[in-house]
Amino acid sequence: MPRWLAYLIVLALLSAAGVWAFASLDMNWNWGVVWDYRAAFWQGWWMTVLLSLASLLTSSLIGVTAAMMLRSSMPLVQAAARVYVELIRGTPLLVQLLIGWYVVAAALRMGTDQRYLVGVLVLSLFSGAYMAEIFRGGLDAIPRAQIDSARAIGLTPWQTLGLVVLPQAVRIVLPSVAGQLVSLIKDSSLLSVISIAEFTFNARNVNSATYSTLESYLPLAVGYLALTLPLSALSRWLERRFRYEAA
Amino acid sequence: MTPTRIVVWLMVAAMLATASFAAEPLRVGMELSYPPFETTDPQGRPAGVSVKLAEALGAHLGRQVVIENIAFDGLIPALKAGNVDCVISSMTATPERARSIAFSEPYLKTGLALLIAEASPVLSAADLDIPGRVVAVKQGTTGQQWAVASLTKAQLLVLDTEAAAVLEVLQGRADAFIYDSMSVFKNHRRHPRQTRAALAPFREESWAVGLRQGNDELRRQVNEFLESFRADGGFEKLGDEFLAEQKRYFREHAIPFYF
Amino acid sequence: MNLVIHDLVQRFDDPRSGRSTTVLDGLSLATGEVQSLVLVGPSGGGKSTLLRILAGLDVPVTGSVTFEGVALPRDEELLRGYRRGVGTVFQAYNLFPHLTAMDNLLLPLVHVHGLTDTEARRRVAEPLERFGLTAHAHKRPAELSGGQKQRIAILRALVVQPRRLFLDEPTSALDPEMTGEVLDMIDDLKRSGTEFVLVTHEMGFARRVADEIAFIADGRVAAHAPAAEFLDRCRDPRVTSFLARTLHA
Repeated sequence: MPRWLAYLIVLALLSAAGVWAFASLDMNWNWGVVWDYRAAFWQGWWMTVLLSLASLLTSSLIGVTAAMMLRSSMPLVQAAARVYVELIRGTPLLVQLLIGWYVVAAALRMGTDQRYLVGVLVLSLFSGAYMAEIFRGGLDAIPRAQIDSARAIGLTPWQTLGLVVLPQAVRIVLPSVAGQLVSLIKDSSLLSVISIAEFTFNARNVNSATYSTLESYLPLAVGYLALTLPLSALSRWLERRFRYEAA
Repeated sequence: MTPTRIVVWLMVAAMLATASFAAEPLRVGMELSYPPFETTDPQGRPAGVSVKLAEALGAHLGRQVVIENIAFDGLIPALKAGNVDCVISSMTATPERARSIAFSEPYLKTGLALLIAEASPVLSAADLDIPGRVVAVKQGTTGQQWAVASLTKAQLLVLDTEAAAVLEVLQGRADAFIYDSMSVFKNHRRHPRQTRAALAPFREESWAVGLRQGNDELRRQVNEFLESFRADGGFEKLGDEFLAEQKRYFREHAIPFYF
Repeated sequence: MNLVIHDLVQRFDDPRSGRSTTVLDGLSLATGEVQSLVLVGPSGGGKSTLLRILAGLDVPVTGSVTFEGVALPRDEELLRGYRRGVGTVFQAYNLFPHLTAMDNLLLPLVHVHGLTDTEARRRVAEPLERFGLTAHAHKRPAELSGGQKQRIAILRALVVQPRRLFLDEPTSALDPEMTGEVLDMIDDLKRSGTEFVLVTHEMGFARRVADEIAFIADGRVAAHAPAAEFLDRCRDPRVTSFLARTLHA
C-alpha cells in the first residue's frame, strides 16, 4: 500500500470517529464565533510564535552554558549546573511559572509590565534544562580520539571547539533541538495562567464570552498543529540529512 | 461462556438497568473554589451553601445528588454536553449566558464589587477605565464580561483562579479585582491593610440555577423547590449558618444581600 | 633522528577509584642516528603511552625525551608548537567525520600553518595523485574504506611537511586486505627518507621498514637493537616468546 494512501485512510477514520462523537452530542454549533473573534485567534497565534522563538533563543544559550558547566572539572561549577537541571526537570512548568511570578518576581518587585519578560524567562529556564542535557549528550558523543586528532594537528582549544567539536555536536543535536522547539510551542500555552495573552489564553477568553467551547478550542488545536507539524517534519529531515557513520 | 454464565450476566445487566432507571442521580456541577458557597471540607468532600442547597433539591426530587467539581468557565459547556443536569455554582443569570442555557428563578441577589489595592488611586468603578489602570478578573465570570464590555483604556488581566487575582492586587500589580461583593468582603477581611473594598455593587446581579435549554421539566421542578425552600425558611438558615458575619455587616452598611 | 629517553615515568589516575596505575616505569632508550624506529611488545606494555609522549600529546610524570639534543617541553603551549612540526596518526578516528577527505587535508594547512586555500590545494594535489586517492578526495570519511581513511590520515600528517611522523598501530583496526595498502604507503615513506616512529604488531613489516626495533614490556625497554639483529639474534626469553607468537599469527 502506498504511504500516502495509508495516511489518508488513518486520517479519514479519525475524522469519521470525531464527526460521529460530535454529532452524538447534540450541541447547537456556533461556528460563526471563530470568524467573529478571528482577530483574537490571529493575535494570540502570533504571540505564541514570538514567545516560542524568544524562549528558544534564550534557552539555547542557557542550555549550552549549562552543558559546558555540567562537563566542567570544577566541582562547584558542575554542582551548580546539576542542581539547576534536576530542579527544573523535576518540577512541573506550571509550578515554576506560579512560583516565578507570584513569589520570585513579586519579591523582586517586578510590576505587571514585566509579565511577558518573566514568562519568557521562566519558559527559557525550563526549556534550558532539557537543552542542557541534549547539548551535553551531543558533546559527549564526540569520541575522545577526535580531540586527540585535533591536538595532534596542533589546533588550539578554541580552534578545536570551533572547527571540530561544535560542527559535529550541532549536527548531532539538531534533531533533538527541533523536537525541543515543538515542546516549547506546546508548553507556551501554560503562560496563560499568569495572564499572558498568547494563543490559548485568547481562545479561553473567546470561550468565556461565547460559551462555544469546541468552536473555540478546535481552532486552537489546529493553530498549534500548524506550528508543530512542519517542525516535526523538519526535525525528521534534519535527522536524515546529518546522519553519517563516525569515521 | 457456559449457559449458566450467560444467565448470570443477563441478570446482572438487568439489575443494573433497573437500578439506573429508578432514582437516576442528579448530577450537579459547581466549582469547589468559592467559599462559603462552593468549597471542600478538610477531608476533601464538597461543602458549602450550594452543596447544602443541592442536597435539599435532591431530597425534594427524590434523587441522589452527585457533585461534579468543574472549573467555572467549563460549567456551561459541561451542561450543554450533558455531563451535568444542572449548575448550582453562584452563577449569575445574564442575557449572554441565557442564549446558551436556561436559568431557574433567581435565588440570591448580589452584585459586582471591587477589591482595591491599598496604594491604588481607584475609589470606585468609575475610576477604572483610565489608561494605566490594571483591572483583574476571573476567567468566565460576569466581572470579566462587564470588564470586556466596559473597559477600553484600562489593561485587563484575566486569571484562572480567585486566589491568583487576589494575589495580583496584593502584590500591587493590579489596581482592583472585580468580583462579587461577598467574596470581596471576605478577601478584604483577610488582608485588611493591603486592600480596600468598594462593596456597594456597581452592577446588581442575581444568581440562579443553570439548566439545559429545553429541559423544562427539571426547570419547573427546581423553581418549585426554590419557592418551597424559601417559604420554609431554608435560605434564612443557610444565611445564618454560613454567612452570619456578611449578613450583619451588609445589613449595617445597607448593602444589598438577601436570599 | 637521534632519540634519547631518560627514566620516563608515566602514571594514570582513575578519577572514580582514585587508584593510580604506573604504565611507564623508568623507561630509558638511546637510539643511534636512525630514520625509523619501530616499537613492539605485548598489549598494555606501554608502547602507545610512550608514543603519545614522544608525539607531544601527553606529559610524563618525570623523565626527559630528547630529539637531536633538543628536549621536549612540558608546557602545553610549547608542546602545541612542537606538535605542529610533527605528524601523528592513530589507530582510528583520525579524520573529522563532518568534513570531506579534502577538507580534512586542508584544515591543518589553512588553520594551523597559515596557507591560503589555493596554496593548500596545490600542495595536496600531488601526494593525493601519487597514492591514488584523488578520486576519493571529495568523499566524507563515512564513504571511505578503512584503508583509504588511514591513508588520508597519513597524508594529512605528511602534507604539513613534519620533521617526523608518529604512527600508533595504523593497521590494527583494518582488514588484512586493507592493511597491505597502508603498509605500502609506509614503505614509501621509508624509501623517501621520512623519519618516523611506528608502533605495530606486524613483525614481518617491521623487519622491512625498521632501522632499529625496541621491545617495550612492563613499562620499560626490554630489548633494543638494529632490526635484523633484533629479529634474528635476540636472546631475551620475553622477546623470543613474543616473536614466536606474533610471527606465527
